Amino acid sequence: MSNEKCAIVGVGQTHFKKRRDDVSIAGLLREAIDRALEDAELTIRDIDAVVIGKAPDAFEGIVMPEIFLADAVGATNKPLLRVHTAGSVGGSTCIVGAHHVITGIHDTVLAVSWEKQSEGNAQWGLAGGRSGGIGAGGAFAPWMRAYIQESGAPDYIGWMVAVKDRRNAAKNPYAHLKMPDITLEKVKESPMLWDPIRFQESCPSSDGACAVVLTNEAGARRSSKPAAWFHALSVKSELSTFPGRNPVKPQAGVECAHDVYRQAGITTPLSEIDMAELYVPFSWYEPMWLEGHDIAGPGEGWKLVDTGATDLGGSFPVNPSGGVLSTNAIGASGMVRFAEAALQVRGLAGEHQVDGCRTALAQAYGGAANYFAMGLLRSDPPA
Amino acid sequence: MTDTAKEDLVMEHLVTLTYHERLTDNLNRFADGLLEERIIGAKCPSCGRVFVPSKGYCSLCVVPTTEADEIEVPDTGIVTGFTIVTPVAYYGQTKTEPFVYASVRLDGADSTIGGQDVTGVPQSELRAGMRVKAKWKPREERSVDGMTNRGWSGVDGVVESFEVTGEPDAPLDEYKDHLF
Amino acid sequence: MPATDIAIVGYAQTPSLRDANPSEVQLLVPTVAAAIEMAGIGRREIGFTCAGSCDYLTGGPFAFVSNLEAAGAWPPISESHVEADGAWAMYEAWMRLQEGDIDTALAFGSGKSSPSNPSEVWAQQLDPYYLAPLAPDPISLAGIQARALLDSGKATERDFAQVVANSRHNAASNPNAQLKDAGASVDALLAEPYLRNPLRKHDCPPISDGAVAVVMARGDRARSLCERPAWIRGFDHRVEAHQPGVRDIRSSSSTALAARKAGYDGGPLDVVELSSTFSPQELILLESLGLAPDGPTKVNPSGGALAGNPIMAVGLVRIVEAAARIIDGSANRALAHATSGPLLQQNLVCLLEGE
Repeated sequence: MSNEKCAIVGVGQTHFKKRRDDVSIAGLLREAIDRALEDAELTIRDIDAVVIGKAPDAFEGIVMPEIFLADAVGATNKPLLRVHTAGSVGGSTCIVGAHHVITGIHDTVLAVSWEKQSEGNAQWGLAGGRSGGIGAGGAFAPWMRAYIQESGAPDYIGWMVAVKDRRNAAKNPYAHLKMPDITLEKVKESPMLWDPIRFQESCPSSDGACAVVLTNEAGARRSSKPAAWFHALSVKSELSTFPGRNPVKPQAGVECAHDVYRQAGITTPLSEIDMAELYVPFSWYEPMWLEGHDIAGPGEGWKLVDTGATDLGGSFPVNPSGGVLSTNAIGASGMVRFAEAALQVRGLAGEHQVDGCRTALAQAYGGAANYFAMGLLRSDPPA
Repeated sequence: MTDTAKEDLVMEHLVTLTYHERLTDNLNRFADGLLEERIIGAKCPSCGRVFVPSKGYCSLCVVPTTEADEIEVPDTGIVTGFTIVTPVAYYGQTKTEPFVYASVRLDGADSTIGGQDVTGVPQSELRAGMRVKAKWKPREERSVDGMTNRGWSGVDGVVESFEVTGEPDAPLDEYKDHLF
Repeated sequence: MPATDIAIVGYAQTPSLRDANPSEVQLLVPTVAAAIEMAGIGRREIGFTCAGSCDYLTGGPFAFVSNLEAAGAWPPISESHVEADGAWAMYEAWMRLQEGDIDTALAFGSGKSSPSNPSEVWAQQLDPYYLAPLAPDPISLAGIQARALLDSGKATERDFAQVVANSRHNAASNPNAQLKDAGASVDALLAEPYLRNPLRKHDCPPISDGAVAVVMARGDRARSLCERPAWIRGFDHRVEAHQPGVRDIRSSSSTALAARKAGYDGGPLDVVELSSTFSPQELILLESLGLAPDGPTKVNPSGGALAGNPIMAVGLVRIVEAAARIIDGSANRALAHATSGPLLQQNLVCLLEGE
């Protein structure tokens, strides 16, 4: 018995907006699924199993919604598995889908993740249904403050990330926020949300879905388009709170990244990886994840931002799609990172394509930054 | 596929679900202590770390802790991290003004208590490392009715805020590994 | 083809309780520890962990995060979670074990149904446009299924009562069961009033709290850890269309399909453990598996879900009960079943064998 190779051969995203009142939840999922199947040149009949992921069900108010959506996602008479790992879920859903293929149990698997948070109230959901909720950013703000203090980073770094991601998003037809005229001043002057994070440094609340079609070598050869090959994938979790925990650079994030580098044979990520799609919902998480995954050394993450290295045309582009800062349907965002990394190594990212991209890193995190799902995709199959 | 000629149909489906879960024994004792102005934690019999409140187990050693492992800790401590939150309106929200959201490591405890208000200084002068003391609500106003097995702050309804004492800041190594 | 050399080598469950004192994670902590201890491995050796639970059952978004503390997730572990019964968590962990880079895995499931009203919670698992606003509770839906089964001539109310009597008898020798009665009689049961015609109260499951954990190992590792491992020879799950109106609720096509895909060839089984929570469902599931209710196969020797229904753990408990009988040598071939969604919409089958 040996493992199968696994590739992403189809990617589909919805147009992400604050409210997708034009579709039901089922319609939203089918939009992404239909695009992914079309990209893969397949039909729903070719799908052997469906893996579905989303954030807490309280965000829409439906208990285990995949149960009523079974027909809509084409899972009738097939295995249907629902993954739930908080904010990282889009990434872990893609990874669980990949395991279905790698084990050889299924040939072609549809992984889809989504959120239609306009139908519920995500702020209420994040607050556990109680007053005094701190949203998503409130929990992370103290850690961003600690990073800023410890690294000595200048205050404009967060604003730079916000501007870069929104300008990138203007080149992504599916992105939610399109702000081609955004400037550092506009970010600096936007209202404070969770000191020191301002409104324009924070992700939007989006409705949307993302779907990928995963298959083995035989399946990838069938497609007329290039595939994005998994060379590594990893999930790591740690306790969300305990004495001595470092929530700024969580150990689970370090180990997840090193597991990925080891599987892919990478020793210097900064030079051996062409670009990264990292889950950055608040501006300062870009330098924090660059350091958090040992792409940059301690205190060096913000300098990569400062020099423009993480710009679309830079030496290590981060989030050319516009990232979570431009689009955040919570359940989908982790999978969008993998989908966008796949588009990049397939050369199909259109206006936000990174030239010559052949190796891409995808990362999703969730909870109290205690859940990590990461993968490394390349244009060529593994040996 | 969207049909732009079709009328959008939206239905409102408001749902109330009621849960009555008994408070765990350890949280019951914690709640009783709070009403008496006592803060009770548990010391792990294996590693000696003190968790406030007790979880009924040490999450690092994954061993149970019992009433015999419970100890009282002082109501003074250190702000280990904080933010100022601008409130967002949503169903059930009562906050209207920016509020402090701080983690506090009580003296004698290894875990932190989250989501606390810190008073005694303007919000703009708050620092991690500041020493604080609990400002208890008057006895007749104290209530532990809001406590659940799921909440992780736990002193709400009894402690009004943690007040800055004015003592010199704690050294960095007393709070830098206790951010959350 | 999936590997057939992965086995259950350790397990533990809490008794099924009407109203447990400990919180859900407090139920899990000793249960996971006991499963690991039975397996005889160190906690740090576990290659992958998967948990199953339902936030809405526990009563809050992100509720599943607390359960991570039972997994001992420090230092960091390779871990995931499904919003489903622990049986599906075990499926994911079994799948991960196929890849050969790890040789042990942990899966667990947990849930407390006591704090909430099942009629409120599970009505929200239905189609939000057509069904949920009508708030059909699980018992009423099961009543419709029972009526359809009676009308088809496939079963009688006496058959329902026999299922219950069998459950009560079997549960009497199960220390973990909640509802037991060694002296239960079909006639006495039939004399009880209807709760939701044609269902009587005893045709329905109790409200239960509980947790369960399994440890799996591969090949020689499994043999070194357990004298008689319960080998997983087949494992599959399938889902049907959601709307009960478009399915034949008098039979369980997805159970038959999952069993076939798991490699069940219709051969003799010593034990079958089914997650039927309503007595008519046991008959429906047996028929879909081609088994007679009073045949040579022992049906729900644990008492089944009618004897204790800790939702989110109950399916994995069935697998554990079947595995226990293989491990103790009293059975050689067993089939365990888990279900999810209204009226057996989704079904999982696990085939276990002694060597």
